[in-house]
Amino acid sequence: MIFKIAWRNIWRSKLRSFTVMGSVIIGVWSLSFMLAFFAGFIEAYVSSAIENDLSHIQLHHPDFKKDKEVQYRLKDIEAIEKQVTSLDAVKAYTVRSLNNGMLATATGSRGVQIRGVLPEKEAAITNLDQKITTGVYFDATQKRNPILVSKRLAEKLNLSLKSKVVLTFQQANGALTSAAFKIIGLYQTGNAIFENLNVYIRQEDLSRLMGETAMIHELALLLNKKDAIEATQHYLSQHNDSTQVLVENYQQISPDVNLYESQMSVATYIMIVIIMLALIFGIINTMLMAVLERTRELGMLMAVGMNRSKVFLMIILETILLGVIAAPIGLVLGFLTNAYFGSYGIDLSSYSEGMEKFGLSDVVYTHMQTADYLLIMIAVAITAILGALYPAFKAIRLKPVEAIRKI
Amino acid sequence: MKEVIKVQAIKKTYNAESIPVHALRGVDLSIQQGEFTALVGPSGSGKTTLLNIIGGLDAATEGSVLIDQQNISQLTDSQLIDFRKEHIGFVFQAYNLIPVLTAKENVEFVMLLQGKSQAERDARVKDLLGAVGLSEQIDRRPNQLSGGQQQRVAVARALASKPKFVLADEPTANLDSKSTADLLDIMAKLNREENITFLFSTHDQRVIDRAQRIVTLEDGAIISDEQNAIGS
Repeated sequence: MIFKIAWRNIWRSKLRSFTVMGSVIIGVWSLSFMLAFFAGFIEAYVSSAIENDLSHIQLHHPDFKKDKEVQYRLKDIEAIEKQVTSLDAVKAYTVRSLNNGMLATATGSRGVQIRGVLPEKEAAITNLDQKITTGVYFDATQKRNPILVSKRLAEKLNLSLKSKVVLTFQQANGALTSAAFKIIGLYQTGNAIFENLNVYIRQEDLSRLMGETAMIHELALLLNKKDAIEATQHYLSQHNDSTQVLVENYQQISPDVNLYESQMSVATYIMIVIIMLALIFGIINTMLMAVLERTRELGMLMAVGMNRSKVFLMIILETILLGVIAAPIGLVLGFLTNAYFGSYGIDLSSYSEGMEKFGLSDVVYTHMQTADYLLIMIAVAITAILGALYPAFKAIRLKPVEAIRKI
Repeated sequence: MKEVIKVQAIKKTYNAESIPVHALRGVDLSIQQGEFTALVGPSGSGKTTLLNIIGGLDAATEGSVLIDQQNISQLTDSQLIDFRKEHIGFVFQAYNLIPVLTAKENVEFVMLLQGKSQAERDARVKDLLGAVGLSEQIDRRPNQLSGGQQQRVAVARALASKPKFVLADEPTANLDSKSTADLLDIMAKLNREENITFLFSTHDQRVIDRAQRIVTLEDGAIISDEQNAIGS
């Protein structure tokens, strides 16, 4: 009977109930959309970092991390490659020679990281060939010393296709060397920090100029699934000498990616709390009105023998019912919105310049885990109960004799 | 006859701290099983206060109320709620039905609180709504009933729990003559045939005329207590 009274009570003032339900629907919808948007945002950032730069796992000489000196190379690279190719989890891998140097043009110069790559393998792991916006990618027909620079850097240094640049860097023996390179293509990754810093040349050219072959500083792995990172990392660490090989996952390589990912859950909770707080006050206000309007009726219920715990339960139940009706509607709307923007993406190109500086792409695909929908449901249930507590306490504090007298 | 209500030296003072208002100044009253008693007196004489104290809705400043020899003045708030549920029926001036429930559900409500079975509830609802002449309106909600009909549902609800007595505060104040006469007929019949004890406060001469016993209050004290030969 309490359920029946509670159910019918919520339809007594339809406008009021629809107002509460409307705020719950909007709250749940906006929360699920915002969570999915931020998850998509972070996901895009992490994916872009993995695809352009970090891959899932990288191997270096342990000292290379501290001082990016050319002598800190991976020594027994053939043995490591053998291990890597034996793993099913590995989708693709590549090896790189890295060297910090100076890129000079007729108009200026700039510090850069020279990435000596194996064209085919690099393309398999970073899709670099598809990021060429002007010109071409490396191929067998090119003569000596082709170079890829970013479109952004080219604009800054006033360079174009076929421009000549001079790279100056350290050789294996510590001496400095310089060589002229011809720009064959301009690439674009969408990450301004990365683009300003990195130029690509063929590994064979770099090795030749450094005076030693197969001077590998980095081995990057792309896995079939993110889930396999831990096991693969563990395997490679176990099978290599830790004084010679440091195996790191993308989060360890780039602490800012790790920070973004870990802050996502904190941001999720903060957003839930803020929206739910706003909702709590809405519910308190509405339910308090409902209680005050029914003072005489509540007094009568207690006069004829309805105990305070049942009155309390009735008020709580009314609020929960409103939430139970509204929250799924909000969740369905949120799910549909997220499904739509998950497929078509949200075009933020008008803000893309600022976003690219942070390594973010200009289209965000919303993405949300099922567990997060569950989290929202639980948050709404807790909110409804918390919002109902004060009005319910107010109701049971009424004295029947005074309540009945109220007009 | 059995004494159902015994009021002993009841005093009730409001605002005792600031400007004291003495609503009751030492009232003694005894009500026997089956009596049909009217509590009369001008506004502010203390009728409603006395009914509220007898019904356990309000506490006396001094004195005690014994219902079937149990001193209810010593009960806690929650014990009083249970006591009212089991032993006292209430009829209020403004009917005070639950607006979202039908006539049947309103009558059934107290029995549900008492934990009565579905069969027992159905039988009693049928009997009571039949007795108040509303067999045809059992599925109507209060806003679909006239004032008189609502008050008859209230009487049926008051009797649903099989109380020791029914307290009615100005039960006819909002009713027209016809409805008043119908309600009084029903209450008198229940009193006569089922020996139900009624204690009601009223200003209404039509009600006073039907009472078997008339207790008159003035300024918080009983000034007369007499049998009414022509009542009911």
